[in-house]
Amino acid sequence: MSIRLEGLAKLYDGHPVVSDFSLELPAGELCVLLGPSGSGKSTVLRIIAGLLAADRGRVFLHGRDVSELPPQARGAGFVFQSYALFRGMTVAENVGFALAVRGVARAERRHRVEELLERVGLAGLGKRLPRQLSGGQQQRVALARALAHRPEVLLLDEPFGALDARIRTELRRSLREIQRELGIATLFVTHDQEEAFALGDRIAVMALGRLVEVGPPRELYLRPQTEFVATFLGAANLLVGEATEQGVRIGPVDFPLEHRGESEPARRRVQVLFRPEDVALLGEQEAGALPVLGTGTVESCSFAGAFEHLRLRLPPFVGVRAIAPPVPFGAGAFAVVASRPPHEARKLPLAPGDPVRVAVRRLHALAHPGLQFLLLAEPSAEGLEAVAFAGELARRTHARLAVILAGLDEATARERLGRGLGELTFRPARGGAVAAVPEAARLTGPDLVIAGAPAGRGTPLAESLLASGDHHLLVVRGPRPLPARVLVCAAVGEPGKEDVAFTGRLVRHLGAGVTVLTVLPESSPAVARAQAERFLQASARTLEPLGVATETRLGLGATEEEILAALAGGHDLLVLGVPLPKGAGEVALDGIAGRLVSRTGDAPLLVVRSFEESP
Amino acid sequence: MGARRRRGPLPGFGLSLGFTLSYLGALVLLPFAALVLRAASLTPARFWELVSAPRAVAAFQLSFGAALAAAAVNLLFGLLVAWVLERYRFPGRRLVDGLVDLPFALPTAVAGIALTALYDERGWIGAALAPLGIQVAYTRLGVAVALVFIGLPFVVRTVQPVLRDLEPALEEAAASLGAARWQTVRRVVLPELLPAAGTGVVLALARGLGEYGSVIFIAGNLPGLTEIAPLLIMIRLEEYDIAGATAIAATFLAASLLLLFAVNLLSWRQGRKAAVG
Repeated sequence: MSIRLEGLAKLYDGHPVVSDFSLELPAGELCVLLGPSGSGKSTVLRIIAGLLAADRGRVFLHGRDVSELPPQARGAGFVFQSYALFRGMTVAENVGFALAVRGVARAERRHRVEELLERVGLAGLGKRLPRQLSGGQQQRVALARALAHRPEVLLLDEPFGALDARIRTELRRSLREIQRELGIATLFVTHDQEEAFALGDRIAVMALGRLVEVGPPRELYLRPQTEFVATFLGAANLLVGEATEQGVRIGPVDFPLEHRGESEPARRRVQVLFRPEDVALLGEQEAGALPVLGTGTVESCSFAGAFEHLRLRLPPFVGVRAIAPPVPFGAGAFAVVASRPPHEARKLPLAPGDPVRVAVRRLHALAHPGLQFLLLAEPSAEGLEAVAFAGELARRTHARLAVILAGLDEATARERLGRGLGELTFRPARGGAVAAVPEAARLTGPDLVIAGAPAGRGTPLAESLLASGDHHLLVVRGPRPLPARVLVCAAVGEPGKEDVAFTGRLVRHLGAGVTVLTVLPESSPAVARAQAERFLQASARTLEPLGVATETRLGLGATEEEILAALAGGHDLLVLGVPLPKGAGEVALDGIAGRLVSRTGDAPLLVVRSFEESP
Repeated sequence: MGARRRRGPLPGFGLSLGFTLSYLGALVLLPFAALVLRAASLTPARFWELVSAPRAVAAFQLSFGAALAAAAVNLLFGLLVAWVLERYRFPGRRLVDGLVDLPFALPTAVAGIALTALYDERGWIGAALAPLGIQVAYTRLGVAVALVFIGLPFVVRTVQPVLRDLEPALEEAAASLGAARWQTVRRVVLPELLPAAGTGVVLALARGLGEYGSVIFIAGNLPGLTEIAPLLIMIRLEEYDIAGATAIAATFLAASLLLLFAVNLLSWRQGRKAAVG
C-alpha cells in the first residue's frame, strides 16, 4: 500500500471535522476524494502531508509510519488550489526549489528542472516569473515543483478549482498521463463529480468528516450503498418502497431484486434507485415487457446535446415515499427525472403536458436504508434537549428529520438543531403534541420517533408514542451529548436480533461502543446459558462488520438489577427491546420495561420495538 | 472622421492629477526651489568653503552615519518585532502592538529628555553601562540610540500587514518540498517581506536624517563631535549666517535624496536576489 490511513480524527474547537477516516491506496492508483464543501476532505489531505496534526489515527506511506514526522520528512508532493508559487523566483527556480534545499548540485538541478518542465508542457519557459504565466500554466509549474524531489505520493487539493472548464480538461489529461507514467499513488481532492469521474481509478466519497463509500466510479454510480452517494453522484430517482418476499413493491408494481443488501429481519421498507437513463417512456398504446410504474405527465423537457432531459409528474402511490428528486411537501404527486437519446425522442416526441407511461429498465436497492427521524419539538426543558440531541444524532447518521412543532417556533427549533442537516421538514402540531404524531408518522414513515420527557415520568408518553405507528422510540431526559457507550439489553432469540440490528444501524455513525447484555435467571440450565452465549457471539458478529466496537455480557440474576448495574458502569444510552404487535395499536409498557423507564435517571433511552410473531 | 480620444473608465483623471501636481508644487517643491535658489546665489568657491569646513563635514558624517546605523538596527529589530506580533499569540500582545506606535506619538523633545535621563551616567541604563566603560549620553552612540528609538515603528508598521497577508500555503509548500524552517524563512518569507521592509528602512532613514528634537538633548552638541547637521543649520541661522545655513542645507538635501534613492534601489534589488538565493 502506498498510502494507508487508519482511523484519522480531527477536531476544530471541539467540532469533529474528520472522524474515524480509514483508506488505503495501492501503488500507482489515482483516488479522488470527493465530497461537498466542508466535508473534511482537505483536512485529510493536509494530515497526510503533515501540514496538520491529527488528533487520532495514523498515516503510513509505503508501509512507513509517518504520523509523527514533520512534512519535510514525509516525501509527499503537495499541490495547492492557490498554486502557492514563490513569486520572486523564476519558473525554473520554483521547480528546482526542492532540489536546492537538498543541496543538489546546480548542473544536476538544471537537468532535472528541464526534464520536469518538458513533462508538464512548459519547456523553454523556465526563465519567466510566475506572474507572467496564465493560471493553467502556473498550476503546471506547481505540479512540476511538487514532483521534483521524486515524492512517494502526490496530494492535490482542488488543484483546478480556479481554472475555466477548457483548461481544466487539458490539465486533467496531462495530470493523468504524468501520473500513469510515474506510477505514483495520488490522492486528488475535489468537490466536482465530473472531475472525479474523469480522473479517478476509485472515488472515495466523504460527508461530514466521514468516509461514506469508496469504489470504482462505475460501481458507485450504478450500485451505491448509501442514499448520500446515490443522490450526490449524478441525477437519481430514489424511492422508498415496501419490501416483499421477492423484491420491492412500488405502487402497483412488484419489482424483483437480485440481491437484497444486508439481511435484516422484519425489514419493512427498502430504498430503490433508478437513474434517469433507466427510465423508459412509452406511448399510451405501446406494449412492452418492462414493468410500468404508472402514467404521468411531462412537466418539462430540455435538450442537452446527446440527451433529452425530462421531468415527469406521477400521481402518488400509497406506501411509496420519494426522496429524490425532491418534491414540495404536500404536492400530492411525485416526480421522476428521465433522459433519453435522440433516436428515442424522435420515435415518441414529447412536450410539456403530454401524458406518458413510465417504465423502469433497471432498479437498484440500496444496502443501507437511510434513516428517517420524527422529532416532537416542545418548549419544555426536556423537549429542548430532545431537539438538540435529535439534531446532533441526525447530523451524524445522515438521517432525514421531520419536526413536529408543538409550541416551539421554527426559528428556535432550527437554532437548537444546528446546521448541516441533510433534509429537514417542519410541520405544526394540530390538536395537541402527541395527537399530531400518528398523522406525521403515517406521512413520513419514520424509523425512530424522538421526544423529551422528564426523568422518571416518561412511561405514559412512551406508551402513546409507541402506539402511534410501528417506529422505535428515543426518549431524551436531560442535557446529554451523543452516546459514547451504548448498553443494549436484548432478549435471546428473534426479537433480540432486531434490537441489535437497529442499534447497529444507528450507532455505526456515532463511533460509540456497544455492550450487548443478556440476563438469565441464576437457576438457568446450562443449555439456556449456551444458547445465550451463542446469541451474544452472533450479536458481536453482526455489529463488528459495521465498525462498532462490541462487548458482550451475560448477566445472571434479577434482570432489572443487572441492567441498572451495567448502566451505572459508564453507559450513556440504554437500548431496551420491547416485543410489540406490528402496526399502530394500544401499547402498555408494564413489567420490567415500564419500571426501567422510571428508574434509569436522565440517560437517553431507546425503545426498540421487536415484532411479535404474527400467527 | 476624427478619432475620439479613448478615455479610461474612471472620470476626473485630469482634475485629480492637476490638483496633485499643484499641491505637491506649492507645498513641497516650492520651498525646495527657494532653498536651491538661495544656495545658487553663492559663488561655487564660497559654497565649497562653507560646506567643506571641518565642523560641517563632521556634522554631515554624524548625521548620515547615525541615521544609517539606526536604520540598519531598525531593519533587524523591526522585522523581529513584526514577526513576534504577527506570528505568536501571547497575553498582552495588543498592548505591545500599541506600544510600537509610542515613538510616533511622543513629542520628540520629551523622547529626547527621557532618553537622556535614562542613559546619563546617573540614569538607570547609563549607570549600569558606565562600569563597562560604555558611555551613551553625549556621544555619537547616543545620537544613534535616539534615532533607533524614533525610527522603530516604520519598519514594524510596513512589514506587519505584508506578514499578516502572507499566504500560509507558501510556507506549507516550502515545508512539503523539504525546506527546513530556516530555509523557508530565508528563501520564501524574507523575500516576500523585503520590499516592505525596504520601504520601512527608507522611511526610518528619512526620519533619522531630519530628526532634531530628540537628538539635541542626548547628543551634547559638541561642535565637530556630536553636532548633527540640522542643528548646525539652526546655529548658522541663529547667527544670521543665512548663506552658510542654505549651503549646508542644500548639500544635506542633495545628499539625503541620493542616499534615499540608493537605499530604495538596493532594497528592490535585494528583494529580488534573496528570492533567487
